[in-house]
Amino acid sequence: MPDAFDRTSAAGRRFDTVLIANRGEIAVRIERACRELGLKTVALCSEADREAPYGKTADSFLCIGPSAAAKSYLNQDTILLAARLTGAGAVHPGYGFLSENAAFADAVEKAGLAFIGPDAASIATMGDKISAKRAMMAAGVPCVPGPDTALPDDPAAIERIALEIGYPIIIKAAGGGGGRGMRVVPEAGLLHEAIALTREEARQAFGSPSLYMEKFLQHPRHIEIQVLCDTHGNAIWLGHRDCSMQRRHQKVVEEAPAHGIAPEAIGSVGRACVAACRQIGYRGVGTFEFLYEDGAFYFIEMNTRLQVEHPVTEMTSGLDIVQAQIKVAQGDPLELVQGDEQCEGHAFECRINAEDPDSFLPSAGVITGLFLPEGPGIRVDTHIHAGYRVSPYYDSLIAKVIVHASTRAEAMARMRQALAGTRVDGISTNLPFLRALFEDSAFARGETDIHYLEQWLKQRRAS
Amino acid sequence: MSAIDFSDPATIAFLIDALTAAGVDGLEISRSGEQLRIVIASSGEARIDLADNASAPSTMVVKAPMAGYFCAGHPSRPTASGSLPRPVSGREVLGFIRIGPILLPLGVDRPGILTKRLAEPDALVGFGDPLFEIELPS
Repeated sequence: MPDAFDRTSAAGRRFDTVLIANRGEIAVRIERACRELGLKTVALCSEADREAPYGKTADSFLCIGPSAAAKSYLNQDTILLAARLTGAGAVHPGYGFLSENAAFADAVEKAGLAFIGPDAASIATMGDKISAKRAMMAAGVPCVPGPDTALPDDPAAIERIALEIGYPIIIKAAGGGGGRGMRVVPEAGLLHEAIALTREEARQAFGSPSLYMEKFLQHPRHIEIQVLCDTHGNAIWLGHRDCSMQRRHQKVVEEAPAHGIAPEAIGSVGRACVAACRQIGYRGVGTFEFLYEDGAFYFIEMNTRLQVEHPVTEMTSGLDIVQAQIKVAQGDPLELVQGDEQCEGHAFECRINAEDPDSFLPSAGVITGLFLPEGPGIRVDTHIHAGYRVSPYYDSLIAKVIVHASTRAEAMARMRQALAGTRVDGISTNLPFLRALFEDSAFARGETDIHYLEQWLKQRRAS
Repeated sequence: MSAIDFSDPATIAFLIDALTAAGVDGLEISRSGEQLRIVIASSGEARIDLADNASAPSTMVVKAPMAGYFCAGHPSRPTASGSLPRPVSGREVLGFIRIGPILLPLGVDRPGILTKRLAEPDALVGFGDPLFEIELPS
């Protein structure tokens, strides 16, 4: 409920110490940005992360709880206590964990600290998919056909809505996200069973049975727009990314810019995103996610945080996005106006996961040997080293390999070279799978949509 | 909260009486380093096993239960921490974790010899950080 939050915020207060309420590669990334801005850092860890390398480089390092995330990285009280004990003036939530938790953002600011992210009201508005869609429609952002209200209980009324949209449709949980709490309905005969199942899933997984309905797009690409806003009413968009290469709704490879989309087509969408940010009083970085099919964009959700894939935009724009969001939290006005931003060349990011390349089951254990790629246009964001123990408690992302080159084809070639030069011994990783994917001709031609990777894997298994 | 001494015959007798009165067949309690099992026989006679776990270490480390500032003794009695090594009873408060005005006592649930203080007084400690080492009687 947006109105439940006090919009007077701690944003804009100067601070000299940032508490990083996260772990892994993003903790390293935030620490680097803070150091370059002359800020001190407080790194946190759970029992499982006591040997994390960023603990040695942070100004303070504090264990806040047991290995289970619920008792450490998701424990709001403990994190606020750590901030108080260490004298931190701001909290950077990174991504995942508490980064899109409106109550946490509110608690941070009520404790007199700056939350490096949007205010609680914006997070709450965009966290509810129905209210987000309503806000976007009001701002003129194109949305997937379907009402901006929750589905009624009356079965006949639901049938009428589905007929108006036209099958196939998709049922989604209002509180869902990350690919969970949704069901495709190809024809009318399957509608009511799908509603009942999804409603129960939503009730159990998200604590709310509220559902909404949209047109199901058959072959869309996943395109997203990066925005950056300050607390002085300035907002810009920093270009676009294609994140269509997904497995089970989890992104595997991202690139910037999204290829083959006319600048004038995406320009109007970018401007609408900026208008929406101004309308909801958004601050910090955010990402508008769209489905793109047959030349049209359809808003799906906004992520009110830093994205895992932000480096590809950094590589093409030359802007340090993490530093920019910290400056916004300190109350600085944006240093760029729309038109100053640039997009040069092409960038790819591969997520290196500790998982079996065939079964995708997580692989924990000690990294006995590590070789990371180096060279012009190659960047690696990671927290691992030889001897590092990959914990079974958390997300399997252990590194991001990012490349930049003049053209998409050159960037693909550079990524092939970078992946060939990457070796992680002692555990299984998805490197063989990524190397094979970058040899795929359809991917090279850019002829892929969000379903492509699943089909590619199915064919690969069959052969 | 002080820990119950399960090797105390009076405590065991009390538990047997309580179990028998309640018609309960038995009781098993395990905690760090020790295990108590009472089985009430059908004739009303109890069998008692009280054993140190085979894997129990000869030393134990008292760890911080949460983040805060380590106090080796009560702040109002700065000399209370004393010199080491020294014997400690099974119900002694060894020090505190200070969080603002709150003092969280650091207890030990078994007697032994306090041999080492592993954190500096007034140091900021995290969850699970080692604070004291205690040598346990064999």
